Amino acid sequence: MIQVHNLSKTFKDPKRGAVRAVDDVSFGVRAGEIFGLLGPNGAGKTTCLRLLATVMSPTGGTATLGGHDILRAAGEVRKQIGFLSGDMGLYHRLTPREILRFFAELHGLAGAALRDRIAHLLAWLDITGFADTKVDQLSTGMRQKVAIARTLVHDPPILILDEPASGLDVPTARVIEQFILEARRAGKCILLSTHVMEEAEYLCDRIGVLHQGRLRITGTMEELRAATGKQRLREIFLTLLGIDPGPARNS
Amino acid sequence: MPLTHLPAIYRKEMLDIIRDRRTLISMIVVPLAAMPLLFFVMGRLVSSAGKRAGQEATAIALRGGDALPGLADFLKKSGFEVTSRDDLRAAVQNKQIAAGLEPVPRSGQAPEIRIYNDDTRQGSDLAARNLRRALDRFRDELVRGRLEALRVSPAVLRPFTVTEVNVAPQRKMAGFFWGGILGYVVVLLMFSGGMYPVIDMTAGEKERRTLEVFLASPAGREEIVLGKLLAATSAVFVTALLSISSMVVALRWADFGKEAGRLKEVAGQIPLDAQTIALVVLALAPMAVMAASLMIAIALLAKGFKEAQSYLTPLVMAVVFPLVAGMMPGVELTPALAAVPLFNVCQLVKQIFQGDFTPLVFALTMAANVVYAALAFFGAVRVFSTERVLFRT
Repeated sequence: MIQVHNLSKTFKDPKRGAVRAVDDVSFGVRAGEIFGLLGPNGAGKTTCLRLLATVMSPTGGTATLGGHDILRAAGEVRKQIGFLSGDMGLYHRLTPREILRFFAELHGLAGAALRDRIAHLLAWLDITGFADTKVDQLSTGMRQKVAIARTLVHDPPILILDEPASGLDVPTARVIEQFILEARRAGKCILLSTHVMEEAEYLCDRIGVLHQGRLRITGTMEELRAATGKQRLREIFLTLLGIDPGPARNS
Repeated sequence: MPLTHLPAIYRKEMLDIIRDRRTLISMIVVPLAAMPLLFFVMGRLVSSAGKRAGQEATAIALRGGDALPGLADFLKKSGFEVTSRDDLRAAVQNKQIAAGLEPVPRSGQAPEIRIYNDDTRQGSDLAARNLRRALDRFRDELVRGRLEALRVSPAVLRPFTVTEVNVAPQRKMAGFFWGGILGYVVVLLMFSGGMYPVIDMTAGEKERRTLEVFLASPAGREEIVLGKLLAATSAVFVTALLSISSMVVALRWADFGKEAGRLKEVAGQIPLDAQTIALVVLALAPMAVMAASLMIAIALLAKGFKEAQSYLTPLVMAVVFPLVAGMMPGVELTPALAAVPLFNVCQLVKQIFQGDFTPLVFALTMAANVVYAALAFFGAVRVFSTERVLFRT
């Protein structure tokens, strides 16, 4: 579903000169799979996801999503993806119903299909009770549900999730986790960026560790353990970053 | 450029605009309330100041009235309250009287009449003007008496009379008065009224982190800018129409007192026929697009709301200069000056209200403003396609 080929992005920074935020990154994600892009802050995760979501253009390499190239068919790529970030990106003066309608229309839904889809999402995510309340009057948990509904409004086969549980408390983050697992069961291809080890270990089928723009390793947890000789993801991660993880702890 | 998503984008932007309190204040409340309030307060001030000045202006003092017999009585008959003071200068300065009058005898010559007044005080200034008129009448009366004593007709002093005939029709007079003010105020309010909606839909959207999700949707960049531009232009136009309407109502109802009789007379005569309104709206259309595009391009450079405000405030202030130039008396819209943005629309609005614009000047102004609007629009699209601007945090 997602094929990334030697993707690179270089920024020109007045102080630091040319900065390679994403450096020759390649990986693939299948349908029904959760691929976790794990890295510290500033590793290039968000830039990588922005390139795949076509909101930024790469300076090298390319990628295909759902068979469409991000350079040649950015519009088609955007129809295939649902994009969600920790900021949620909701219009605070609009109601959940208005937000869903807006994004459904952008994705070409109209008439009965639009109404049915919105009604289904409102009921499925238990939003109906506050569907006509402005977002700025909703709790964080309610907003997160609205953000999920917006991501799924056009039933995209690919989900790009940029630290979706960032800054959320455990019960609210749980809503996100359930949504991600449910999406995998529905056969969606999920690319998730995070810097939370537990989240990556719990959710992801395969993990890629990104550091200073470069993908250091990709594989299942078993493959990462075999490659590094470490058991826990935290230890694996620190080892790959060249940091001493300290003595191993038994859980 | 496909435009399939444009209606949805426009609807969403307008919904967002009308639910923003700051935008509503700058777009609707200020144009609706500011003008009536301004004219009401101004009317009351002018009216009460005029009344006060009129009352004050009757209090005068005369010193050495014996030099011109009959003067004191003449002034009293003319409505002045005449008192006597030794130091006229001090009495005027201390506001004991509005003006002082002193006939100064000159050997072998007619006496010189000195009027003491304070030009910075409305009452004193009015008293001096009234005194001058009264003295003219007194002089005429003296001359007439002397001529009659010599059996000479007073008509020898007036071989002819002068009458000014204003050939400008009432519409032109009203247009001259209205056009200058309306062009200036409306264009200025278009910028200030459009400022908040534009900031909210650009820098505000960046600050609230909604832009990234919007960009990841199938809507193209040009479509997004166009949708925002149409919404911003709508806001700018609503501001303009509300400003014009409230100004018309305010000026028609404002009470400026007797002192502003001509102002009131002209103010009530604003030409509001369908053709004039249509031409004014047409003249303002490219200007509104240019204003909205320019503000979108600039506000996009900011990281957040406050920064955008600090970028756009100088622009709104800079707009004043060409507009003030357009208000100057004697300045006319020539084919060459039709290329000067803002100035040209201000002048064109004035000429439309006066009903004496030429098709050539209208066409040149429109063409110039359409070109500027297009350049500003493509500038905004270009800024909107610049990653380092969109993702500047």
